[in-house]
Amino acid sequence: MSKNNTPPELITGLQRIGLAFAVTLLMAGCASTPAPTAQMAVAKVEVNNAMSAGGNEYAPVQLKAAMEELNGAEKAMAAENYEQARAMAERAEVDAKLAAATARSAKAQKAAETVKADVQVLRNELDRKQQ
Amino acid sequence: MLKNRFFPLSLIAVAVLAGCSSMPRTNPTLATATSNYESARTNPQVTKLAPLELQDAGNAVSKAQAASAKGDDAATVDQLAYIAKQKVAIAEEVAKQKNAEQEVANIGAERNQVRLQARTAEADAAQQTADQRAAELKTESARTEEAKTQLALSQQEGDRKDAALTTAEAKAAQDQALIDQQDEQLKALHARKTDRGMVVTLGDVLFNTDQASLSAGGINNARKLAEFMSKYPQRNVIIEGNTDSRGSESHNQALSERRADAVKNALVDMGISSDRITARGLGESSPVATNDSATGRQLNRRVEIIFPEGSTSANSTR
Repeated sequence: MSKNNTPPELITGLQRIGLAFAVTLLMAGCASTPAPTAQMAVAKVEVNNAMSAGGNEYAPVQLKAAMEELNGAEKAMAAENYEQARAMAERAEVDAKLAAATARSAKAQKAAETVKADVQVLRNELDRKQQ
Repeated sequence: MLKNRFFPLSLIAVAVLAGCSSMPRTNPTLATATSNYESARTNPQVTKLAPLELQDAGNAVSKAQAASAKGDDAATVDQLAYIAKQKVAIAEEVAKQKNAEQEVANIGAERNQVRLQARTAEADAAQQTADQRAAELKTESARTEEAKTQLALSQQEGDRKDAALTTAEAKAAQDQALIDQQDEQLKALHARKTDRGMVVTLGDVLFNTDQASLSAGGINNARKLAEFMSKYPQRNVIIEGNTDSRGSESHNQALSERRADAVKNALVDMGISSDRITARGLGESSPVATNDSATGRQLNRRVEIIFPEGSTSANSTR
């Protein structure tokens, strides 16, 4: 029996494209990502922002989640697990943004409550005096 | 041979299907993200106050949904769905923050309004109190003025009264001195003090026997009396004639009257106004001694000249 070599004439144009497609797919699906240093930096910045915005006091749960994700991302970076590092850093970034927004909104609501209470006290005073 | 031609194609198909992708199935995170986004999208507060964040969230949801529809692996879809869910939450928080800030602004204005009202009311009340106080002060001041005037008037009155009292006291002292002086002089006339006043007694020897005419001694006495009376024009006299009990009562009555009149006439002749002299006869009705002895009878035959105390020209009846 002769060796079953794939004769060049069997690879048609269509098949060429298809093969290229499959290879591309395989490569895309299972390719290794570069170190997500930019994403890590962004995540760190956002976590700091969240702390400055009073996340500790006004959004402790969200801030904690953000910091845990960031820690995980750093560990993944160290382990050169860049896929995971990128994903965790992305989550840390959005968690930190949410913590900051929650803190700002909580502060504003507190201020509104204070002002409302002030007005009520003033109203009561006024009503009492006018009795 | 045909099978061999299609082999790479089927290989591709299998690779596509069984490679790094999974079959599209309902991802719970994506479902949550989608439903949360729907709520936010229909919340007027979020659409109005956080439109940019809402749009960003919407884009994230679409991206996650596309990945799911495309058949991306679960991890990818999870990641995109999680990010989308968080972005929806961010949009909601931003809306809450802006809403609260607006409230602060609105209520802040309201609070200033109420404060202004309160201050105005306070100022009005203070003004009222001040006005009241001013009115009170005015009334008090008027009262004080009135009291001062009253005091001044009563002081004047007091001073006047004091002066009048002093004058009266001085006058009374003067009068008393005068009376004392007069009493001394009357004593020189042998007047004695009785409860009717100073009394000078003209005895029987001063009259002619059983007559009403005065003897020389009588006239002498009358002169002394006239001197006294002209010296002290305020003093008036009462002249009372008395007899003993010899003879009839009517005779004695008439005699006593004639004797009293004799003394009166003597005084008048000496210049004393008859207005100052009251002459009357008491007959035998008022003896000072017994009528049983001659001495007694002689004593009873007398004329008494009485200078009443406090008798002044002011008291005399005209």
